[in-house]
Parts: sequence; structure tokens; C-alpha cells
Amino acid sequence: MPVTFHIPGALREFTAGHSRVQIEDSPPTLAEALAVLWTLYPGIRDRIATEQGQVREHINIFIGVENVRYTGGLASPVPSGSEISIVPAVSGG
Amino acid sequence: MIGQVLGHCRVVAKIGEGGMGVVYRAYDEVLHRDVALKVVKKDAHLDTSSSQRLLHEARASSGLAHPNICTIHEVGENEGELYIVMELVEGRSLAAMSAGGGLAPESVLRYGIQIASALARAHDRGIVHRDLKTANVVITSDGLVKVLDFGLAKQVGSSIFEGPTRSLASIENASSVSGTLPYMAPEILCGEAADHRSDLWALGVVLYESASGRLPFEGRTGFEISSAIMREIPNPLGPPIPPGLWSIIQRCLAKEPAQRYQRAGEVQAALEAVQSAGIVSPSPGPDQNAPRSTILHGVQHAHVKKGDFLLLVGTTKGAFILRSNAQRSRWEVGGPYFHGHNVYALAYDARGGQHRIWAAPSSYWGTMLRSSDDFGKSWTNPQQAPVRFPSDTGLSLKNIWQIALGRPEEPNVLYCGVEPAALFESRDAGETWSLVRGLFDHPHRPRWVPGNGGLALHTIVLDPSDNQRMYVAISAGGVYRTDDGGRSWTAQNHGVRVVFTPDKYPEFGQCVHKIAMHPARPERLFLQNHWGLYRSDNCAENWTDIANGVPSDFGFAVVMHPRNPDCVYIVPVESDEFRCACEGRLRVYKTRNAGASWEPLMRGLPQKGAYETVLRDAMAADSLDPVGLYLGTRSGQIFGSRDEGRSWHKILEGLPSVVCLRTAVVEDESASLKPAPTKAARPHQAKSHSKTKRRGSKS
Repeated sequence: MPVTFHIPGALREFTAGHSRVQIEDSPPTLAEALAVLWTLYPGIRDRIATEQGQVREHINIFIGVENVRYTGGLASPVPSGSEISIVPAVSGG
Repeated sequence: MIGQVLGHCRVVAKIGEGGMGVVYRAYDEVLHRDVALKVVKKDAHLDTSSSQRLLHEARASSGLAHPNICTIHEVGENEGELYIVMELVEGRSLAAMSAGGGLAPESVLRYGIQIASALARAHDRGIVHRDLKTANVVITSDGLVKVLDFGLAKQVGSSIFEGPTRSLASIENASSVSGTLPYMAPEILCGEAADHRSDLWALGVVLYESASGRLPFEGRTGFEISSAIMREIPNPLGPPIPPGLWSIIQRCLAKEPAQRYQRAGEVQAALEAVQSAGIVSPSPGPDQNAPRSTILHGVQHAHVKKGDFLLLVGTTKGAFILRSNAQRSRWEVGGPYFHGHNVYALAYDARGGQHRIWAAPSSYWGTMLRSSDDFGKSWTNPQQAPVRFPSDTGLSLKNIWQIALGRPEEPNVLYCGVEPAALFESRDAGETWSLVRGLFDHPHRPRWVPGNGGLALHTIVLDPSDNQRMYVAISAGGVYRTDDGGRSWTAQNHGVRVVFTPDKYPEFGQCVHKIAMHPARPERLFLQNHWGLYRSDNCAENWTDIANGVPSDFGFAVVMHPRNPDCVYIVPVESDEFRCACEGRLRVYKTRNAGASWEPLMRGLPQKGAYETVLRDAMAADSLDPVGLYLGTRSGQIFGSRDEGRSWHKILEGLPSVVCLRTAVVEDESASLKPAPTKAARPHQAKSHSKTKRRGSKS
């Protein structure tokens, strides 16, 4: 089952306008799934992750409805057929 | 033993001794190769059945043909002594390599992948290591991992405990436990049987130790170590350890075997993912560096023509381009650009005949340096963030506070001052950027502390008379100067007072808000401090207080008159606690004598209930004649003066908080931009205020 990324509006200029990106493989972890996404659309990477490889402070990634901050971060397992959402956190002034 | 022959191996030399036995270098006289020969100690608590099982395990392990497993060639018995002939591995143990702070994350990943791969092969064959530890992992000179002693631990009992702690008095049935205490999984300490997931726990310990040089569970006694293993969470590993690696280690170290990875192959895949994701040290291909361009739709653009005058406005919610002509009386507004982003830094680069606007929008998606060659209609949007900290620094860019152009004779040189405080330089017109290491490696840097706005290098001043000299201002670090093009830097804060430390005149640590220099007198600088207004006449060697008659010596912005090196403009604010215009009256103060006296400029500025703040980069002067001045407020108003500050008018209101203003003349034909002659302005010599608000006045 392919894994599907939901791309927020702010990043769609890096995905040729696509709001959903499907990955045919079934990567076992989020890091691997993101690596595939970044290969397809390299501009996404520095928007989501810092230069030190950390997911940016105010960006949340969900696998299904689970925030990966609580499931192992980039090592979180990605079940086959998962929907992965990239969502800016509620913050700011 | 030396010279003795066991099987067909002649013992050459003793090379080591462990709890399990003695290891010799030997020569296989049949196959003509060097081998290692391990002779198990007679007192290794082996009864006959254990001995038989060890033999069985060793034989099973000998079938593990894997590049990362030390191959067992032969097992046998000689006069009741068990011996094992194995591949001779020469290299350094991972324990030795990890000591002293741990390895680079790249190395941890590279070795961890190989160890996990070795475990995966063994587990597939039903063999559990049971004593995986950094001392059992050897790295050969060409970087190949060899895991030693596979399958040999199980039957040997407690005799192989090594390391700092052998006391297992607190553990029931210690004799049934095998392994090395700091690497033991909780279930083993509870007396449960070890399985392949106990090896994955040990792998977590090995990764932690390799990454940090420390064991995750430490203690002075066996009891303390056991207690830590059972109950404690290891100290987190932060940068430079990538969070992906840390997450893997955490999962290996889950107290419950069911919460760990269930297969070594999963750990291997996760490590490979972190490695291949390139998030340890990204090295993108050239295609990723290709500048992208974003054309903005639905944004009102200013229709800029040659000869126009521009006011670039950075706010906390985007940038605006205000267009006017030489009259500077009617304004067309373009924007907002970078909708919702903080734009603390803007620059206009007309060197080499270009019309390039630089901007540093920052949001939760990061900070990107972007540029436009068509006055905002399209902007570069690089795939990869151009200004980025190298991986060895462990730092991540938070904001760009200043974009400074290099000297006119170096049209491809640009600088960025950033948060966390550092200076970046580009020598190819902003295509690529590098960290200025001379400043980054300054021994003071670890002792700089963040000001209210963060630890920022916010001001960059180049000496036009000396292409090797340059100043930066850091809040709170102070002023630093280089005289050798950035290779070395010295703190230049003598005479600048600090109110927030016991030492009032430290070498560095000042919360400098802004410095300014006039190009015609590059040895002179003006400085607005966090409390304190100063001038230096000797390249920042010494600073003199010049708060003579200003209502407060707290403030942010300092702007030079473009042609008069004695003329400076500031906007005092009431205090550190109340960073608003003094007495609710928005007044600019001007000196015409380098700070000997100051006069207020307020005509046209709100003088009642105007609790405005003008931040460090939110005031600017233009280069026209007479000089125009502009200030932006935190409340989103922009005021301008076309007569050098004598009178002011509101240009725009209702903007987000203004944090940056820059002026530009499109095309270098300023003759055509001179405003129509105006009536000679009436001299306005307001009486200076005699009282200056100061924090902890020196007198």
C-alpha cells in the first residue's frame, strides 16, 4: 500500500502544486519516507527540517492522527498505507 | 603456550586476555594464514553440558558467514581445554574509539548499521550474541566493523563479567546471568531469559556510548547500575546527534522488550534511513542549488521606473516596497511580500548596474535569503536554505538580522549577520555562503548571552578606507573588529557600560543595539547601547559617553547623515522596562557636533499619547539633497521627513510592526532625483533638554 503525504499550501510550490504526494514504496520509518519525498521534491527538506536534521520547532508531522513527536520522531514506524500530514503548529503572534 | 600446536595452529604470541580466556595470535599451518586462537579458561565455570553447549554454539556461529562477524574457523578441545580458532581481526575496539566524547554521528551511523546487519544475520540463524558491547566491536583500519564473540557468551555464566562493576550481589541468580552489566537489558536483570531483543537493547547502549562517549546507565556499584537500567531514562543526546539517531537509540532502550524494535533488520533500516536521508550532513546535488523563482500573484506591485525612489519596509508579517519619486511626497505601496513572515533584513544592491532587492523572510518554515531583480514581482526561492550552519557546529539558523553589501570594488561580496550570533559571507553574489570561522571560533562566543531579541549579530559595518577592517555588533556580546579580513577579531568595548552584570565595564558582553559609521570618517563610530550613547574616534578602541541632553540614553536606532560626519539621528525610548517614546512624545534627536549636544526634532510627529517604539533597523536616511529621513514604529506607522528631520509627515499607517527600513534610488542618476528647490528652512534650534534618563548614572 502506498504512503500518502499531505502537503500544506505553503510548500506546494515545491511539489508542483500537488497537495497529496504518494510514495509507491512502503518505507518502514518516517525518516525513510521523508527521504523519498525529499528526493522527489528537494525544496521541502529545508522547510521541514533544520540544517541539523531536526524537524523544525513549529512544524508537526502526523502519521495518521499520531504526532510523531510522541512516537519516536523520525524513527517512527510508518505502517503500510499511512497518511502523513505536515502541519505548522498553532503558534506565533 | 607459545610454540604449542592446537589442532593445526601454532601459537605465536599472546595478544589479550579477557574474562573468558586468553587470546593468542596463531598461525594455521595447513591453510597458511594468521588466526586468533582463544583458549577458554579452565575455571570458566563450565560443566560438561555447558561445555558441550558452548561447542555447539561455537559451531553454529562458525556458520555465520558475514563480513561484519568475526568468522569462527574451528572449535576443539585440547587436554580438557576448549579452544576456538577464529579470524584474526586487527583494528581498534569501538570502546577505545568512543572514549573521550564519542564519535561523529556519521561514524556512529556507519558502524551501527554494520553491527545491526551482523545481528540480523545471527538472529536469523537463531543465534543471540548476549554480550554485545563496544569492547566486542573492532573497527579495522579500512573502517569495516567486526563483531566478536558471537554466540559464545551464553554458556559461560557470570565469569565473563568485565568492566568497572562485577558486583552482582543484588541480582538474584547471578550465576545464570551472562553479559556485561552496563549493557544488560532489564529483563535479564529480572532473571528472564535473554532473547534477540536483549541484543537490540545492547545495541542501543553501544550506539549511545559511540555517540557520546558515555554509557547511558552509570553508577558506582553494580546495584546503582542495575537500578539505573531498571528505572532511569538516559540523558538525552542533543546536537550534533541527529534526532533520528536519538530516536532509534531510545527505541532500542525501551524497558519492555515488546516496545523495542523486534528485529535487528529494523534497526539497520532505521539507521540507514537517517544516513541516506542525508540529514546528518546534507550534501545536495547541484540541481538542488539551482535558484528557483516564485512569481507572486494576487499581490499589488509597485510600478517602479528608473529614477524612482524606493523605501523598503520589513515588518513582522511581511515586506512592502514603497515607491515614490524625487519629491518623496506621494507613495505607491507594493506588497505584502512573504505574507506572514518576519522580515528583519532587507538590502538594495545596485552594484554592477543591477537592481536587486535582498530579503530574509523568516517563519516556522525556516529563514531563507531571497532576492528579486524586478522590484518584487518574482523572488528567488532556493530549494536549499543558502545560509546554513555547518553540521559540525550543531547550530541551526534562527533568523537573519542584517544583510550587508560588500565594498563597491567587490560587487559579488555580501554578508549576513544572523541569530544565533554569527557572520556569514558570500563571494559569489549570494549563491553560496560560508560561516566566518574567525569570529565563530572566538573564545568569547560561548559567553555571549541572548538579549531580548535573541542572541543576534545584527550590525555589520565595513571600513571603506581599509578593505581588511570590519566591525560587527552582537547583542549581547558587544562590538568586535577585524583588521585582517575576518580571520581574527577583537572585542572593542572599552568604556561601554553594562548595567546587567556586576562588572560594569567588562571586555565584552555589552548589549549593543546599533553602531554607525560615516564613510568619510571611518575611524569614528557612534553606538547606541542598552543604556548608553557613545562615540569612538579611534576605530572603537575607546568609547566616550555622548548622552548630552537627550531625555534617555536608552534606544535602538542610530542613523548617520549621509554627507555630514558630525550629524547623527537617534530616537530615545524611555527605559528598558518601558521601551516607548519618552513621555509619549515621538521625538527624533539630532546632533550636528558628533554628540556634544542634541536637539529634538518633532514637528509633524505625534506628541501626545504616542507610546511608539522605533527598533534598531527601523530608521533610515536617503542620499538625496536635502536628506530624507524615515522611521517606522512598532505600531505600524511610517513617518518621513524631506528636510533632514525638521518636519515630518505620516507616509503610511496600519502596517504590521515595522522592524526594518531601507532606502534606494533606482539607477545611479541622482542628479535627476534632486527635489525642486525648497524655501530655506527656518533654523530650528530647540533648546536641549538638560536631564538625561540613564540607568544607574555614573555620577
